[in-house]
Amino acid sequence: MLNVAPRFREYETLPSLNDPSIPALPPLPTGESEDTRRIVERFGEDILAAGLHNGQQIVYVKPERLLELAAFVKDDPKLAYEAVVDVSAIDRLKLPIGADDARFQVVHQLRSYARKQHLMIVAPCVGNETPTVPSLGNLFAGAIWPEREVLDLMGITFTGHPDPRRILMPDSWPNHPLRKDVPLGGEEVPFTLTWGDPEFATLGKQILPAESVPPKLPPGMNRENMIINMGPHHPSTHGVLRLVVELEGETVVNVDPDLGYLHSGFEKTGENKRYKDFVYYTDRMDYLSSMNNNFGYVLAVEKLLGLEIPERAQVIRVIMSELQRIASHLFWLSTHALDVSGTGMSLLMYATRERERILDLFEMVCGARLTLSYIRVGGVWRDLPEAFINNLRDLLAVLPRYFDDYEAMLTHAPLWQERLEGIGKLSRADVINMGLTGPMLRGSGVDWDLRRDAPYGGYENYDFKVPVYTEGDCYARYLVRMEEMRQSVRIIEQALRNLPDGLFRTDDRKVSLPPRAELDVSMEALIHHFKLMTEGFRVPAGMVYHAIEASKGELGFFVVSDGSAVPYRLHVRGPSFNNLYAISKMSRGEMLSDIVTNIGSIDIVLGEVDR
Amino acid sequence: MDWLNLVVFPVLRSVVLIVVLLTGFAYLTWYERKLLARFHARYGPNRAGTFGLLQPVADAVKAVFKEEVIPRHVDRWVYLLAPMLALVPALVIWAVIPVAKGVPAIADVNIGFLWILAIAGVESYGVILAGWSSNNNYSLLGALRSSAQMISYELPLGMFLVSILLLAGGFSLVSLVETPRAWWEWVWLWAMFPLFFICILAETNRSPFDLPETENELVAGFQTEYGGIKFALFFMAEYINMITTSTIMATLFFGGYRLPFGLLSDVVWLGPFVLAAKVILLLFLFIWVRASIGRPRYDQLMHFAWKFLLPVSIGYMIVTALLVVFFK
Repeated sequence: MLNVAPRFREYETLPSLNDPSIPALPPLPTGESEDTRRIVERFGEDILAAGLHNGQQIVYVKPERLLELAAFVKDDPKLAYEAVVDVSAIDRLKLPIGADDARFQVVHQLRSYARKQHLMIVAPCVGNETPTVPSLGNLFAGAIWPEREVLDLMGITFTGHPDPRRILMPDSWPNHPLRKDVPLGGEEVPFTLTWGDPEFATLGKQILPAESVPPKLPPGMNRENMIINMGPHHPSTHGVLRLVVELEGETVVNVDPDLGYLHSGFEKTGENKRYKDFVYYTDRMDYLSSMNNNFGYVLAVEKLLGLEIPERAQVIRVIMSELQRIASHLFWLSTHALDVSGTGMSLLMYATRERERILDLFEMVCGARLTLSYIRVGGVWRDLPEAFINNLRDLLAVLPRYFDDYEAMLTHAPLWQERLEGIGKLSRADVINMGLTGPMLRGSGVDWDLRRDAPYGGYENYDFKVPVYTEGDCYARYLVRMEEMRQSVRIIEQALRNLPDGLFRTDDRKVSLPPRAELDVSMEALIHHFKLMTEGFRVPAGMVYHAIEASKGELGFFVVSDGSAVPYRLHVRGPSFNNLYAISKMSRGEMLSDIVTNIGSIDIVLGEVDR
Repeated sequence: MDWLNLVVFPVLRSVVLIVVLLTGFAYLTWYERKLLARFHARYGPNRAGTFGLLQPVADAVKAVFKEEVIPRHVDRWVYLLAPMLALVPALVIWAVIPVAKGVPAIADVNIGFLWILAIAGVESYGVILAGWSSNNNYSLLGALRSSAQMISYELPLGMFLVSILLLAGGFSLVSLVETPRAWWEWVWLWAMFPLFFICILAETNRSPFDLPETENELVAGFQTEYGGIKFALFFMAEYINMITTSTIMATLFFGGYRLPFGLLSDVVWLGPFVLAAKVILLLFLFIWVRASIGRPRYDQLMHFAWKFLLPVSIGYMIVTALLVVFFK
C-alpha cells in the first residue's frame, strides 16, 4: 500500500526573539515631516514615534489618545485628513518585541484629498490576549467595515464600534485566523490508492449531519416587514454576496450585506508564501482585473526593496494596467446594463466581444486570459511578442467607435436615464467619510485619481483627464466609467508612442531570474537561479502601504517585512470591499430594483470583497 | 341535433388549432433565440439539426423528462393548477379569431371583442396563483407586480379596443376584417398602434415589461419554484400569448388574413398564410423590442400606465367617437 502523507512546505525559520542584532519590527520611522511635527507638537509625550518610513508619514500613538488624534487630524485645517481608507492590524507575536510591548498594533491609513497627503496612524492595543483599541467608526464611517474585518480576523475589540459583528467568518468560527498562533490550516487528507481500504467504504454515501440554524435577523430589522434574502445565489449580486433586505411593499427599509462566502484567506496564505509566489494569488482576488492586482502588489514589494524598474517594463506595465481597466469597465458596463434593464443582454454581448479582444492580447503576452500573473517583481514576465503592438494598435483604432455605440444605446436613452438618475445618491461628504474610492469618489465630485495625484509606475509621464461629476448618482458613476475608458485609450496610445527599447525586467539578479542562456555559461547565474527558485528574494525589514488606482478604486497593499523572504504581514485593501459599505446608505428608501442598480454601480467583485 | 356541425367539426378544428399553436410555440422559441442571437452578435442554437431546427424538440424532450420536483412548502393543488390556468386562456382566446375569408378558428360569434377582453382578464390568474401558492417572497412579489401591471394595462387596452369597436361598429371579428375601411380610418387606427403595442407588451409580460419575472431582481419571479414541464407550461403560455396577441393585432390593425388592396381576395386558402406572415412580422417586433429597449422600474411602469396611457386612451376614445359620429 502506498501511503502518501500530506506534505507542507517548510519555510525558513523567522528570526529568533532573543537575537539582539535584530532591530525593532516593524522599523520605527525616522526624521519628520510638517504634518508629523504638527502632531508631535500637539500631543507631545503620547506620540510614541513619528516621522517618515519608506517615504510615508507614520505616527505611533498611545491607544488612549488615538481617538483624540484622529479627531485632531480630521478637524485641523492644516492637516485635514478627511478619510480613513483602510484599517489593518499586525500581530507581532513572532517578531522580536520586548516583554512590555503590545502584541497587536492597529494601523490606520488616512487620506487628505485636499492636500494630497497620506498618513499612517499606528496604535498598539491594550492587552495581549483580548486586545482592545478605540474605534474610529464614529468619526469615519469608512473605518467601520475594515475594523469589523480586523475584529473578525485578528480578534481585536474596538471599543465604541457602532456595529461590532464578525464580517467574513461565520459567527461560530472558533479562532481569529490572522493571528500568528493560528496554524495555516490544512487537514490531514487520507490518501490511498487501494480501493479495498476502509476509507472508500463510505465513498459517495456520506451524509453530513448539518444542524439547521435559523438565521439571525441583522440588528435594526423588523420582522413585521417582508424580509427577503438576496443571494448568496442571486443573478445580480455578481457572485456570492448575500443581502438581507427589509421591504415595505417594494420600498427598501434596510439592507444588510452578509459577506464571506468567498473568503479564502488570501492574507493568511500570503503570509506563508514567498514574495514572488504571492503574485499568482493576487490574480484571484479581483479576477476581472488581475493585471492591476499584480501591479499593486508588485509595486508594494518593489517599494520595500527599493528597486529601480527599467523604463520599458514601466511602459509595458502601464499599457497592461490600462488595457485591464478597459476590460474591467467593459465587463462592468455589460453586467450593469444587464442588471438594470434585461435588454443589456445585447450590450453584454457587444461589450464582452471587445473585452474578448483585450483578453486575446493578454493571451499573446502571457498565455492566460483571466489569471494573468504577467507583472512580476522587477518587471514583467516576458517581453511583448512582435505582433502585439500591431494588434493593440488595431484594437485602439476601433475601441472609441465601440464606446460611441454603447453610449448611443444608453447615455441618452430615456429609460436608461430614468433608471439611473437620482438613484444611489451619495454626497461629497458621504463618499469621503465612508472611505469610498475610484469612480464612486469621482462620481460625487471629489477630484481624485491616484494615477495623477500620487503617481506610481511612471504615470506622471502621461497626459490624461480625470472625469469628475458632481451629481453623485448612478448615472454620474456611469458617465465617469465611460469617460475613463476613453482616457485609458489615450494613455495606451501615448505609451505606445513612447515605448522604449531595453530590458523588460530588471537585471538585478537578486530579484529577477537570469535568462536561460546565461545559465549555460555562468556559474554565478546558476547560483542566482538556484537561490531565487529555492528561497526567493529577501526583502529588507519595513512596512509599506502602497495603493494604486485599480479599475474599481484604490487597491492598497499593506506589507510588513521582517527581513525574510516571506511577508510577515500582508493586508489587501480591496476597493470592492470598502465601496460595498455604501450599499445600505444608497439603497435605503429606494425600490427593490434599485438595489440591483446600486450593486452594479458600485462595481464589486466578490473575490476581492471576501478575499 | 346536428352532431357534425356542432360537435365533430369544432372538436377537429380545436385539435388542429392546438397542434398548430403548440408547433408555432415551439418554433417561436427557435425564432426568438435565432433572432436574439443575431441582435447579440452570436449564432444562437445551431447544434441540434440544421440551423438548430431540432432545438425545440430537444427542449421539449428535456422539459418533459425532467424530474417532477414539488417543493414541500408550496400549496400543492393551487401550485399545480396555476400553470394550466396560465396556458388555457392563451389557447381559448383563439376561438373567435378569423383565419381565412369567412372562416373563424372555431366560431364566428357576435361577441368576439368581449371574448378577447374577458379571456385577457382571466390570464393573470395563472401568474397570480403561481406566485401566491409558491410560498416564496420572490414569487409573491412577482405575482403582485403581475396583477398590478395587468390590471393597470388592461384599462388603456380596453379603451383602445372600445375605440376600434366604435370604428368597426360591431362585436364580430370576422365582420371587422371583412368590412372595408376608409383611408382616414386606417390612418387613425395606425396612429394608435404603438400605444396599443405597449399595452400588449405589458399584458403578455414581455420585455421590457417583464417585471413579474425580472431575473435580475426577482430571480424568476412567479416561476421561481417551478421546474420541468410545469415551467414549460408557463413558458408555453407566454409564447402562445405572444402569437395570440400578434394575431389579434394583425386582425385589428392590419386586415387579418387579407392582402392589402383586396389582392387575391378570392383565394380562400391563402388566408391562413397571409395571417401567419403578418404574425411573424409582428413577432419580430416583439423580439426586436426585447433586444433593444431597457426595462423600466416597477413604479415607472405604473406611472406610465396611469399618468400617460390611460388619459391618452380615453382621449383617443372620445375623439374616435366624435369622428365616427361626424364622418361615418
